[in-house]
Amino acid sequence: MKRISLSRTLLYAVLLFLSFIFLFPLYLAVINSLAPWFNPPTAVPTAFKWENYYWATELIDFWRYARNSLIIAIIYVPLTTLSSGLSGFAFARLRAPGSKVLFLCVLSTMMLPGIVTQIPTYILFFRFNLINTYIPWLVWGIGGSAFYIFMYRQFFRTVPLELEEAARIDGCSIFRIYWNIFLPISLPVVATVTILTFHGNWNDIMGPFMYLREARYPLSTALSMVGYKPPGGDNQTIMQVTMAAGLLLALPIMVTFFIGQKYIVEGIVTTGIKG
Amino acid sequence: MKQIKPTTRRSIAFYLMIAPWLLVFLSFSLFPLVYGFYLSFTNYFGFNLEDLSLVGLKNYQNVFSDKDAMGALGRTFLFAVINVPLGTVIALSLALLLNHNIRGRGVFRTIFYIPSIMPAIVTTMMWKNILFTGNGGILDRIIGVFGLGPVNWLGYDYALFSLILMSSWGAGGGILIYLAGLKGVPDELYESAAIDGASYMQRLFRITLPLLTPVIFFNVLMGIIGTLQQYLQPILLAGDQLLARPIKPIYLYVVHAFQQIFANQRFAYGMALLWVLFIITLLLTLVVFKTSRLWVFYEDGGD
Repeated sequence: MKRISLSRTLLYAVLLFLSFIFLFPLYLAVINSLAPWFNPPTAVPTAFKWENYYWATELIDFWRYARNSLIIAIIYVPLTTLSSGLSGFAFARLRAPGSKVLFLCVLSTMMLPGIVTQIPTYILFFRFNLINTYIPWLVWGIGGSAFYIFMYRQFFRTVPLELEEAARIDGCSIFRIYWNIFLPISLPVVATVTILTFHGNWNDIMGPFMYLREARYPLSTALSMVGYKPPGGDNQTIMQVTMAAGLLLALPIMVTFFIGQKYIVEGIVTTGIKG
Repeated sequence: MKQIKPTTRRSIAFYLMIAPWLLVFLSFSLFPLVYGFYLSFTNYFGFNLEDLSLVGLKNYQNVFSDKDAMGALGRTFLFAVINVPLGTVIALSLALLLNHNIRGRGVFRTIFYIPSIMPAIVTTMMWKNILFTGNGGILDRIIGVFGLGPVNWLGYDYALFSLILMSSWGAGGGILIYLAGLKGVPDELYESAAIDGASYMQRLFRITLPLLTPVIFFNVLMGIIGTLQQYLQPILLAGDQLLARPIKPIYLYVVHAFQQIFANQRFAYGMALLWVLFIITLLLTLVVFKTSRLWVFYEDGGD
């Protein structure tokens, strides 16, 4: 008995130590975002200059970039979630000539380094006069994402056949079966895909950098390109305000993760992604 | 009206449902892929789309005689060889720790996972400006306690190490998938092992890890592909804008391609660089798949 409690204590000690390591950089980010301008990095709270957060939104065109981020997310995220679900369902439950080959295409898109197609895609959008518009995100949204098509497919394959057959006897069309039966029971997966898509989209720096110009940059791209300098000349970046802006950028990611955490865990368990 | 056969109806439904994906896949994945391959055989430099001429294999010959490209490729392999196993071990160990019946499991899981979803710009911001900083940076102060340093974290000797350190902090992203995989290990196996008096280590290496190999396989494969393409973090560590040129030790292969395209306007050459990487990725994937028969355990005997 004594040995068991000893190893338990050790386990908690290890977990607490690791938690400390993983949280430490975040803690540093928070306390430095509250420190006075141009101070060297600090490991202990020295001041609580909440106005740094005000300056983060004031020294650059913060709210415009934030609005751009939001526009891109609203265009892209719901469309991708829906479109991927539709394709995932088709690949899981319907057989058709060519469906196997097409599914291989989905899998290979997952392996394809995105950067290989980016320049030619740029040329394509350029030819259609769509550079510096949000239309590319509309197009990508309609296309869905290979990874999430795969995830939906894995999930829909686990749904018992009887459920589908009962509905078919009642004369439901295939679309109705998808919409009324499959989609409602896949809510954890829908939530997971929505949140993970939002994260990828919100954090994307390079896509907007290539296809948009500065006035339309989302926050993530803007923060990698625009430095926080004090008003009136001085050319030195204010680390404290930059950090505050970074944490503001991370805030929606954290909030959506906490809201959807339960679903994400469940969604990943039920889809049972494996090789 | 003629009755449509159910199989035909299902085929039509199938193609209707995948139509959005298929159309975008054909025009914005497959076509750019082929078009990019074509461009890699031309003299495209950004403004001569109407007036391209074919240059044969010249761009590809240049890739292999470009010392910067080959150096970057070797460095990228080194980075992958360290980063992928390290990331796998970290994520797997964390998942194994959390797989015990403990209090506050959800909280620990969140703590380990959060760094992996931090925006790349925020992660590099805090490591670069607070931890890696030379003048009173936090890491210097920590190792100072042990009488070491100070170290030039982003200088020639330590930049790659620092990049790996920063990546490892985000390695917890894999724990959710590993935890899901661990849930799938049947309890009966552990029970019968307990009756046989197997130790924790024996159970780990004889039951848990073998049953987890498909999940590990998936993560390792995605890790390799992701790591070979890594370019954002080195660029963000290097300077405060996206065309900043990282120093040699973290000048990775795609960083080089990125530089050629965006800084030097060598588009066709950049495409050749990326196609070489694409083919290497394909070959590696193939090797990983072929060898997976040797180390991946499929319950149903492989399918």
